Amino acid sequence: MGSQKRIAKELSELTASPPDGITVTLLDEANLYEWKVLMEGPEGSPYQGGIFQIRLVLPTEYPFKPPTVSFATKIYHPNVTNDDKGSMCLGMLRPDEWKPSSKIGAVLEFARQLLAEPMPDDAIEGRIAEQYKNDNKRYDEIAREWTRKHANKT
Amino acid sequence: METATASASFSDSSHRPGRLRRFSQLRQNLSGHRSRNSISNRVSWLSSSLPGRDSTVTQVGNSTAPCPDSDQPTLARYTSAPTSSSRALALDNQPSSTDSARSNSPNEPSRTSNVMARLRSSSAMQGRPPRTLGRTTTPDGPTTSPEPTAAAAAANDAPAEGISTPPVEMQEGEEEANKPKQKATIRFFPYQDTYQNSRPSLPFVPVARTLPSESCVIRVGRYSERDGIPIPNPAEPSDAPVGFKSKVVSRKHCEFMFVNGQWHVKDVGSSSGTFLNHMRLSQPNMTSRLYSIKDGDIVQLGIDFRGGEEMIFRCVRIRIECNRSWQQQPNEFNKNTESLIKNLGKGDTADYSGCRECSICLGSVLRPYQCLFMAACAHVWHYKCISRLLHSPDYPMFQCPNCRAFTDLSAEVDDTPEYETESKKAAAAKAGPAPEDETEGPSRSATQTPAEAPATNAAGESSEPQEQSEGRAEEGELVTDVENLHLREEQLAEADAESRGSDSPAPNGSNDDLARSATINIPGFQPTQPLNVPPGRSSHLRADTPVRSETSDDNPLTPRNDSGPLAFDGRAGMQ
Repeated sequence: MGSQKRIAKELSELTASPPDGITVTLLDEANLYEWKVLMEGPEGSPYQGGIFQIRLVLPTEYPFKPPTVSFATKIYHPNVTNDDKGSMCLGMLRPDEWKPSSKIGAVLEFARQLLAEPMPDDAIEGRIAEQYKNDNKRYDEIAREWTRKHANKT
Repeated sequence: METATASASFSDSSHRPGRLRRFSQLRQNLSGHRSRNSISNRVSWLSSSLPGRDSTVTQVGNSTAPCPDSDQPTLARYTSAPTSSSRALALDNQPSSTDSARSNSPNEPSRTSNVMARLRSSSAMQGRPPRTLGRTTTPDGPTTSPEPTAAAAAANDAPAEGISTPPVEMQEGEEEANKPKQKATIRFFPYQDTYQNSRPSLPFVPVARTLPSESCVIRVGRYSERDGIPIPNPAEPSDAPVGFKSKVVSRKHCEFMFVNGQWHVKDVGSSSGTFLNHMRLSQPNMTSRLYSIKDGDIVQLGIDFRGGEEMIFRCVRIRIECNRSWQQQPNEFNKNTESLIKNLGKGDTADYSGCRECSICLGSVLRPYQCLFMAACAHVWHYKCISRLLHSPDYPMFQCPNCRAFTDLSAEVDDTPEYETESKKAAAAKAGPAPEDETEGPSRSATQTPAEAPATNAAGESSEPQEQSEGRAEEGELVTDVENLHLREEQLAEADAESRGSDSPAPNGSNDDLARSATINIPGFQPTQPLNVPPGRSSHLRADTPVRSETSDDNPLTPRNDSGPLAFDGRAGMQ
């Protein structure tokens, strides 16, 4: 597979110089296509202090098809589904937005940026988005609580 | 008065011959069962903006004001455009304006239809704000004004125009100073919404237009035999209407115009709607305000009828490409790529440390012994990596995965044989920065696109003076030719003086200009195609779509090319 070379290259780049608050490892050393990403909650956000585990799955057609990003750690966020899948809606990962020249590092940084600044207009969890917009304080509280409960450093 | 002005834009429906009446009914169905005669009563925003029965034309123009446009800083700038356009619609009732409009569009097949003439006069009016730009840059513009005189007079005596014009002039003056090279080029590509599994839209040949002057408007509507054979990619600047063979497209559907350095789209009263990125611009049969469009936007005309099973009932989805002229001119990036390619295979002298990476495999490209593919935008990949995108269902359309620029890979290649030698001479004469070498030829053919790069350069060069020469486009072929060939960025100061001097149609003068521009302007590496072109032929050079270079075929050599060496040795410039 031609994609393996690229993925290996990106992985070594990301492990050599990881972006802020992001640690990248392979879920299974033999499988390049599934990554385990540990993301620290960005400072100033209700997710601060938490460490979120993200599963990044690369399709075999990568980089022609976008990777999928899902939260293994439960998180209270308008752009992350509130089920056990925890799939994240990233604009740049939509098939028609995806560019093969985008790199995984950029995707992860974008995801972290989304933690800092949710995009309620682009939400999957409409209820949380509503709350984020109208009752930001309450949203903050719950998100903080969930972070404490689920994303504790242990 | 009120109903007259309001209905002027859709009056075609009331004049429609019986044969077409069925379609109008069909479109009525599509458009939400709107009664033709009560539009202004039903449409709240229009009637609210026309409070009095005796409301004047200018108030129609003001109806653009309540539009949700407050987030646009440029609102004040371009509200003048809708104002004048609606005034033009009012003008339509005067027979004189239709006459003048027809007589002033020599580059289009003359149409006898009242509707089209009316449309044209309105488009001429919409162009007025940009036209003022032409006046500010070319002091003698007004004397040679190609605009319909009736329309111009009407525009001038209207008070609103007087108020709205000064800021327009000022702002455009600034923009002119900032980016004097920008030209109004737009391309339409068929867009298939493959990701949402929607029905296929109408296939069509990509269409490209470069406006002859900023005042021109590209009208889009249903294909009509009366328009003559459509030219998808005219070699020279053209505002020829764009027709689509679909019955969900109204005859007057929408218009594209270039206002204040920005492309805009406007629904001109289509029945089944114009959609910009899925948002409908106006209600059925209503004219919308101007909406600015940017590269990559999707404009959809109409909606599928009867499930779009038949081709003729499919909607049209257009992917817009505009504001890419910077990419089609020599810039830091493609110059750099070119020099890298030139140095390819030169062994120890070459420095590969700065070579670019292939965005697909993240490996480095631009090393010897690799099969590469370079797109017109000068992005390069390994052929193996990019081939998947090349041989896609969309072939021959190719979208650059780096910058999303579209290229038609099946377009004719503009490989005029003189190019290589001429450019070598140019480089030699100029002692250009990039030393020419033997590897140039082979490396070019290996990477497919260099032949396109000259085309882009040639196009960029030859069409950038349009801004300066706009407004005088119809002045006479010779004069425009001369202008197009010699105006350059660094020559702006003397440009006016020179062009005025060459207004006299002396062939000698134009040759001088040709030669002068050659010696002054062409950096060493650049293609020198403009030089090959005798005055009468420069129009071919203004092709806005370098990748579709049909021009090469009908651009044969002429004896004048022999003057090329003379031009390069510097003597010509000193005459």
